[in-house]
Amino acid sequence: MSYSVEDIEKLVEPARVHRKVYTDEEIFDLEMERVWGRTWIFAGHASEVPNGGDYKTFNIGSQSMLMVRNRKNDNISVFYNRCTHKGAKLVGDGKGCAKAFRCPYHAWTFDTEGKLLATPPTKTLETSGFAPDDPEYNLRPAAQVDIYHGFVFVNLDANAEGLHEYFGDSLTSIDNMVERSPEGELEMAGGVLRYRHDCNWKSFVENLNDNMHPMATHQSAIEACQGYAQDLPEGSEVPETVHILGPFGSSYDFFEDMSHVVFKNGHSYSGNKVSIHSAYPPVPDYVDAMETAYGKEKTKEIFSCARHNTVYYPSLTIKGAIQAIRVVRPISVNRTDIETYTFRLKGAPDEMLQRTLLYSRLINSPSSIVGADDLEVYERVQAGLHSHGHDWVSMERQKDHDQPQEDGSIEATGSSELPFRNQYKYWLQLMTNTEAVKIKA
Amino acid sequence: MSQYQRPGLKKIEEFLYHETGLLDRMEIRQWIDLFTDTGDYWMPVTPDQEDPINHISIFYDDRDLMEIRLRHHDNPRSHSKDFTIRSSHVLGNVQIASFDESNGDCQVSCNFQCVMYYRDQQQLYAGTCQYHLRLIDGRYHIQRKRVDLINCDAPHGSIQTYV
Repeated sequence: MSYSVEDIEKLVEPARVHRKVYTDEEIFDLEMERVWGRTWIFAGHASEVPNGGDYKTFNIGSQSMLMVRNRKNDNISVFYNRCTHKGAKLVGDGKGCAKAFRCPYHAWTFDTEGKLLATPPTKTLETSGFAPDDPEYNLRPAAQVDIYHGFVFVNLDANAEGLHEYFGDSLTSIDNMVERSPEGELEMAGGVLRYRHDCNWKSFVENLNDNMHPMATHQSAIEACQGYAQDLPEGSEVPETVHILGPFGSSYDFFEDMSHVVFKNGHSYSGNKVSIHSAYPPVPDYVDAMETAYGKEKTKEIFSCARHNTVYYPSLTIKGAIQAIRVVRPISVNRTDIETYTFRLKGAPDEMLQRTLLYSRLINSPSSIVGADDLEVYERVQAGLHSHGHDWVSMERQKDHDQPQEDGSIEATGSSELPFRNQYKYWLQLMTNTEAVKIKA
Repeated sequence: MSQYQRPGLKKIEEFLYHETGLLDRMEIRQWIDLFTDTGDYWMPVTPDQEDPINHISIFYDDRDLMEIRLRHHDNPRSHSKDFTIRSSHVLGNVQIASFDESNGDCQVSCNFQCVMYYRDQQQLYAGTCQYHLRLIDGRYHIQRKRVDLINCDAPHGSIQTYV
């Protein structure tokens, strides 16, 4: 079928959505155009491309993109990764440093600002009847690129609102992550983990603010961890592994207190006052460096904000308190790759990055005992939603208890399914917007 | 003359077959006991990765984490492990890279292919293993097992158990 606006409107009710939003390939294709083609998508971090000519490729749905640090002016550009001649993907996947980008097909060569430099052979060019200095032949830039504290975002729609307006006060989670560096700066470090998820991208995004699943989904990991800790000989030092896995076993009451804050455009975080990241043992050298940089009072204030996951809808989720981010790369209606990146807090001891990496291995790796049980439920959802027995997915919990705030955000208790309702409200707004995306600024 | 003699290749191969046999039979308890108290299991995420501490890895388990992983595996509510995990290792090109005659330690490398089956799906893991073996009371123990998958940096689904 071909979805009309009315058809799409029928898929989303205030507190439930039709299973097709997770399973229908046509919906997925529309999402890539109307959701991912119109919103601010995380490209990478400026510290990934520190020098002129440094580049990396990434995908926004079916669109291969090229992020590059310009050699001339040190700015970061994002281009469609497509030669303007015959359409070949200009740069193979990955990252590196380039003087210029030369297409492997006919050697059309572009500088790092995207300008077409050469179209060999030059000997016969003048009489060839074609004018390579036409700007149409330069690499096509993404309609909008903006950088917030080094986080590079792109928007493929020239008509979309600006980055600050789009993310609003959800940006305070990035502020806090950056402030956790004694020098106020982050550097991506420690490589990337790529975890294949055979599920729809929305199942992953939703789960990041799903406070009611750990006690069931992670019960086995929690019991394993607690059982091990209990059986340690008396007086043994508690391994860092236990400090990290342990809080996943917090009570329903604790996760209820890990309340939600949601913003317009589908963004949200949980752990408003307290979270599973609130009680890690302090690293003395780090606390010293922070207090020297900010003073005691301000340091306390920075550490008191230990939010759980913040969702920058639809592509980025961050854990500021642990300096790890997960990036959502949809591949198809039932496949999503999750990339986990970690950060060094500039001016902090190496121990901080090492803890971040330990966290990431324990939770975000394909070998994780936590991540594997999460993925198991996403995949069961993906399979279960093909059932003809039931068409709807419920997100009703605490639906009548939203607490609108003066600043426009909405708060809710931890068991509320408000973050999902908030995401679908925006999803519906995007998906029923049939205006063509404006790809040129 | 040194106290320790360089072992024959056959002795080393027998140890590796025993070690991967424990994995194939899911005898994880006995497999963990092959490691020294400070031993670890490392699966890097990039080729030629030098550092398990300051760079992310797919696995980097000390004994604590091995014990927790075993308990997780045995827990009835571990839903990602609801089905039987079966694996089959084939090892080849076994070489003793170095031998320390002062303490009997060996650095060993081999190529491997491991077929793992879980719930209707079969995965092929292949690459190189490096072992640091320590001789303790006349028996080999593992100080480090390093597993370099040839596709270490590809997106992987859940890796159900040790390779």
